[in-house]
Amino acid sequence: MRLVDTDDEAAFRATLRQWLRDNLPAGVPHSWDTEQRRAWSRRLHTAGYAGITWPREHGGRGLSPSYQAVYAEESALAGAPDHVNVIGIGMVGPTLIRLGSPEQQQAFLPRILSGEVIFSQGFSEPDAGSDLASVRTLARRHPDGWVLDGEKVWSSYAHLADYCLLLARTDEAPTRHRGLTCFLLDMRAPGVQVRPLRQMSGDTDFNQILLDSVVVPADAVLGEVGAGWRVAMTTLAHERGTFGITLTSRLAAELGRLVETVRAVGASDCPIVRREIAQLHIEVQALRYTGYRALTALERTGTPGPESSVLKLRWSLANQRLATLAVRVLDGRPGTDDWYGYWRRQLLRSRTNTIEGGTSEILRGIVAERVLGLPRSH
Amino acid sequence: MNFASTAVQDELAEAALHYLTDRYPPARVAEFAEHGAHDVDAWPELVRQGWLDGDLGLVELALLAQANGTALHPVAWWSTMGAALPAYRAAGLEPPGTVSYGDGSSSCRARHDGATWRLDGHLRQVVDAGYAVELVVAATDGYGPALFTVRTDDPGVTLSAHDGLDPLRRSATVQLAGATGRLLLTGPAADAARVAGQRRAVVLACAEAVGVGQRALAMAIEHAQARVQFDRPIGSFQAVAHRLADSYADLELARSLVYRAAVAVADAEADGASGPTESVDDALACAEVSCPAAAVAACESAVQVFGGIGVTWEFPLHWWYRRALWLQSFHRARTDALATVADALLADSVTHRTTDR
Ligand SMILES: Cc1cc2nc3c(=O)[nH]c(=O)nc-3n(C[C@H](O)[C@H](O)[C@H](O)COP(=O)(O)OP(=O)(O)OC[C@H]3O[C@@H](n4cnc5c(N)ncnc54)[C@H](O)[C@@H]3O)c2cc1C
Repeated sequence: MRLVDTDDEAAFRATLRQWLRDNLPAGVPHSWDTEQRRAWSRRLHTAGYAGITWPREHGGRGLSPSYQAVYAEESALAGAPDHVNVIGIGMVGPTLIRLGSPEQQQAFLPRILSGEVIFSQGFSEPDAGSDLASVRTLARRHPDGWVLDGEKVWSSYAHLADYCLLLARTDEAPTRHRGLTCFLLDMRAPGVQVRPLRQMSGDTDFNQILLDSVVVPADAVLGEVGAGWRVAMTTLAHERGTFGITLTSRLAAELGRLVETVRAVGASDCPIVRREIAQLHIEVQALRYTGYRALTALERTGTPGPESSVLKLRWSLANQRLATLAVRVLDGRPGTDDWYGYWRRQLLRSRTNTIEGGTSEILRGIVAERVLGLPRSH
Repeated sequence: MNFASTAVQDELAEAALHYLTDRYPPARVAEFAEHGAHDVDAWPELVRQGWLDGDLGLVELALLAQANGTALHPVAWWSTMGAALPAYRAAGLEPPGTVSYGDGSSSCRARHDGATWRLDGHLRQVVDAGYAVELVVAATDGYGPALFTVRTDDPGVTLSAHDGLDPLRRSATVQLAGATGRLLLTGPAADAARVAGQRRAVVLACAEAVGVGQRALAMAIEHAQARVQFDRPIGSFQAVAHRLADSYADLELARSLVYRAAVAVADAEADGASGPTESVDDALACAEVSCPAAAVAACESAVQVFGGIGVTWEFPLHWWYRRALWLQSFHRARTDALATVADALLADSVTHRTTDR
């Protein structure tokens, strides 16, 4: 066990840190608009910081996940934004690498890396959230391939997306997990309609997708027909994989911001604030080193250890507490800090953290059944 | 990236656990606890198994401490390996058996009496003093704290044991009236050994806490799989399952923090005085807050999951619960770790660092 980078990791970190210093705009903004993020993604790609863990033959650097973790930490520390194509790079790309045909890999992977093609993920439906196997969007055979009808919901970035990784039912099979198929849907195909949904934070970055007799070609099927559940689980495994380190790194940077805010408004002496900040710091460190343990297991065995299952569960709660504390520190002192708007939005935005990517209840169920070996709940 | 125990370390931990669970089934642990006794015969076996080997790193010791917590090992290993041992080793000596440490730096004086040292004063809260052959005593020798050893059977030494929450880990007040002292270390060497001892004691106690919580969780899981109510195993009720999942999360997070603390302390010791004390202090404080709390919470959840059985004297779970509570009060009595963390974070001169690399 070691607490410091290997020599190679340290060199990578130093180069990256310098690159971020040279390339991030002076006075990094609190939030980035889409055009700024697209431009940032192009820069990352040119510099070789997109697809760090992707294999070389697919345009990546072929580095181990620990380099991705270094990237996550340094870019969070520097205040850099997400890649505009988070879903494409983090989830759809790795799934295509595992399960896509050579033609699909060629058609999509380079353009995902460059940020040219933006992906969204269309799994959830009005009646299929936690219970994803109950998707009803129907895909029927058609002379040109398939025709899709149905409705998707909560699809992040669908309003920007060129393609959507979509889960649909191809067979009314008696067992729900079979008979599902994944499609690479062209969002500009006739019959696709995207309607933005507004969150309580005011953001409109998730959407409803309506599918009305949308024809998709046969080669848009990702993986095998009827094996969509496995494809979707591969994607979600990537969502829950090294992503933990990204979340924790951001949380650490956020705590740094909160500390500055607390000092700026002169709340450093308040005993309650002191205790809560200390607790949050401890939580951040715990998540961080648990992330390293999971990452080490991933590097040694190819799968993250069971401890990785707690990362998103606890990160979401800590992130919510942090934003709540920030607003409490600032409320009653509005105008004293130009971060007020930022924190108010974070507070409202952070409520999604315990819902998106698997609700806390679902995650606890996964820990109970798969890690602790408790009997299935009914 | 390399932040997980190695195969060799895992083997060590498994072997320890195997030995302990074999030798100390819960009924036997309860037996010792009932009589407030330790298994004093076990020490030679531990020596044989290498539990006192000088080449064990702090991570390895932490793994053994975890196993001790899991089994509620009724011997004075922690009091020996924690605060006391670094003093012996720094003086080029080995402890003569089980030993403990008493901090008398402000309450004990050492004076020359011809060729020998005499110690006077009292030591509070000396853990497992009743099982110690010798005590390491920090006493003021006229210049500053120096470290001595005294034999517990010396006529100048009187122990009065306290009843506490955990009968397997009792403390004593020790009166020294002209006790014969053997000088171990003075000056900076004594200071360094005291700091090293304190840090190691904290790391090992935190690791032990994780083991205690893990055992409570394991008992609860086993029960939740077997106990049927309303025609179903109670573990299939989410209110039960989610509670245990939360305990698991607490314990894994705490485990990460104690590994980090072990590595940080070991690195600092290897670097000598130039080691990064700031991150060591942070690592220790984080572990001190999270590990005993996770253990207490896991025990409390386990009691709840066991229902009526869980609150009976006969059912051994409460011995683990007592240890968890003892560990928590031990840390609270020592320092206010949350204040340490808050001071470091909010001090105006220090900016929060998200990485201590
Ligand atoms: C910001 C955001 C972005 C998202 N982005 C995407 C995206 O890009 N693509 C996509 O496909 N989806 C996306 N989602 C959808 C997300 O995956 C779902 O919202 C989530 O899985 C929960 O489903 P649901 O909203 O239908 O809630 P439900 O499943 O109806 O759950 C409602 C409540 O019931 C609880 N519950 C449900 N089942 C159980 C159970 N078995 N045991 C205990 N409690 C239970 C839940 O925990 C929750 O508290 C996003 C969601 C959010 C909030």
